[in-house]
Amino acid sequence: MVLPVSPCAWGVPRIGRGGTEMEASVDFEPKIVAFLCNWCTYTGADLAGVSRIQYPSNVRPIRVMCSGSVDPMYIVKALLDGADGVLVGGCHAGDCHYVSGNYKARRRLAVLREVLDELGISSERVWFKFISASEGALFAETIREMVDSLKVLGPNPAKAVWFT
Amino acid sequence: MIPVGEEGRGRALTEFLAKLLELGVVDAMVVPVMPVPGVITYLMAKDAELIRQRAEPFAPVMPVNGASPVARAVSKRPQGRIGALLKPCEIRALVELVKLKQAEADNLFVIGIDCVGTVDREEYKDAYSDLDNLSFRDACKVCLNPNPPDTAFPGINIGHIGLSDSRGLLVSLSPGLDPGIAGIIEELGFERGDALAGMRLAALAVLKEERNSKYQEFLEKARAELNGEGIEGVAKLLAACIGCRNCRVACPVCYCRECIFDGDVFEYETRQVLARAGKKGGLKLPGETLLYHLTRMNHMSLSCVACGMCEEACPVDIKLFPLFAGVARRTQGLLQYVPGRSQEDQLPFTTFREDELEPR
Repeated sequence: MVLPVSPCAWGVPRIGRGGTEMEASVDFEPKIVAFLCNWCTYTGADLAGVSRIQYPSNVRPIRVMCSGSVDPMYIVKALLDGADGVLVGGCHAGDCHYVSGNYKARRRLAVLREVLDELGISSERVWFKFISASEGALFAETIREMVDSLKVLGPNPAKAVWFT
Repeated sequence: MIPVGEEGRGRALTEFLAKLLELGVVDAMVVPVMPVPGVITYLMAKDAELIRQRAEPFAPVMPVNGASPVARAVSKRPQGRIGALLKPCEIRALVELVKLKQAEADNLFVIGIDCVGTVDREEYKDAYSDLDNLSFRDACKVCLNPNPPDTAFPGINIGHIGLSDSRGLLVSLSPGLDPGIAGIIEELGFERGDALAGMRLAALAVLKEERNSKYQEFLEKARAELNGEGIEGVAKLLAACIGCRNCRVACPVCYCRECIFDGDVFEYETRQVLARAGKKGGLKLPGETLLYHLTRMNHMSLSCVACGMCEEACPVDIKLFPLFAGVARRTQGLLQYVPGRSQEDQLPFTTFREDELEPR
């Protein structure tokens, strides 16, 4: 089913069809870029898989050695290029394989949110979760929650802004 | 207090600086000078006569935030004691550079000077002999720190806010100053300036009050200009960006010798460019405008000293200062960090507390 909606709220402009008419599918499936720490969350996601826990297939995982190694630049890049959500997953407090990378990531992410909010860009698309290697179920639950929440938010408006 | 004679406070301060060099308080002295009419640059003087002839300690113009050139000049195998006459925002940037391990502070003798504001460098060039009609740069109009920090470096602070041209200049020695040096300076035979110090503090309080309300107003206006349009709103404000990176070069705290935006991280293959353009119907060139500016905000806004040199450096007149100032106010507020206040405050990204922020 296809609905016409206001420009920039949904979807990509349909070039060559005249005007700036937009179309959006009510069956919107958000795309999530997930930066997952090798030692905890990535292994947790793997556990969700081997445990045959069902969760939505909207997530594109990128394995990183530590959540502390995720420069906010890459999160911004994903958002500007149209990712509907970005998840950063790290070890629980006190459990970082590199002692304190997750705490530092927490500060970076908090600063990123302030930057986005000050500029009027919704930071609700950026999630940071502590998920351990044994928490496959929590990983699956997190993805379910995130997908639900992003469906409410709708597609990332950046998809329609080419002059970034 | 340095008495000011008929020739004015510029002359009096120049003479004082020259004496510091002659008496060996410092081995060299960095001062703003005018090499050709209307142009201000910095000079590292070894000869006191050059200071007497050329120094312009009160020139209301900042060609570059002095923290960067001073840090570069004194940090590689430092020796001697180097004096530098710097404005408050330059000192604060220098504190950040020390903490970022980009400047060696041990041999610095900083002479901080009150600064009520600076004007655009082009406008200064045209009208340097009669400045009455010039207005301050935006960053200066809303500057909350017209006085140098008290204890950032060993050295001296020169106060003049609220004192008319002929009244005298207040000299205060920083608490940690070497007693030998303090002795030499005291032997120059100053009068006590308690009454003037009171006048200055009162004027400073009034000025800060006034600036603070202007600052709040200025940032509100800047936010309103984004129109709540999200990424599109920001993209509109930055649409003219030509990717020259002058803002980064002019920024005193953006310190990487090789910026990630100069490497090949964002050098795409044609097929990648085409794929990205295909997704949105097209792609702005030069690209990565928002990514670049937002990355700078993420990396450097905590250390932003609000000197406004980014905006000054922009060849296409993008109003960068209100964007950066607004972001910096928030990020610094979040982690309760005051850049440039003290060398003791830890850089927020190098430390953490267990019981803060989310998730826990």
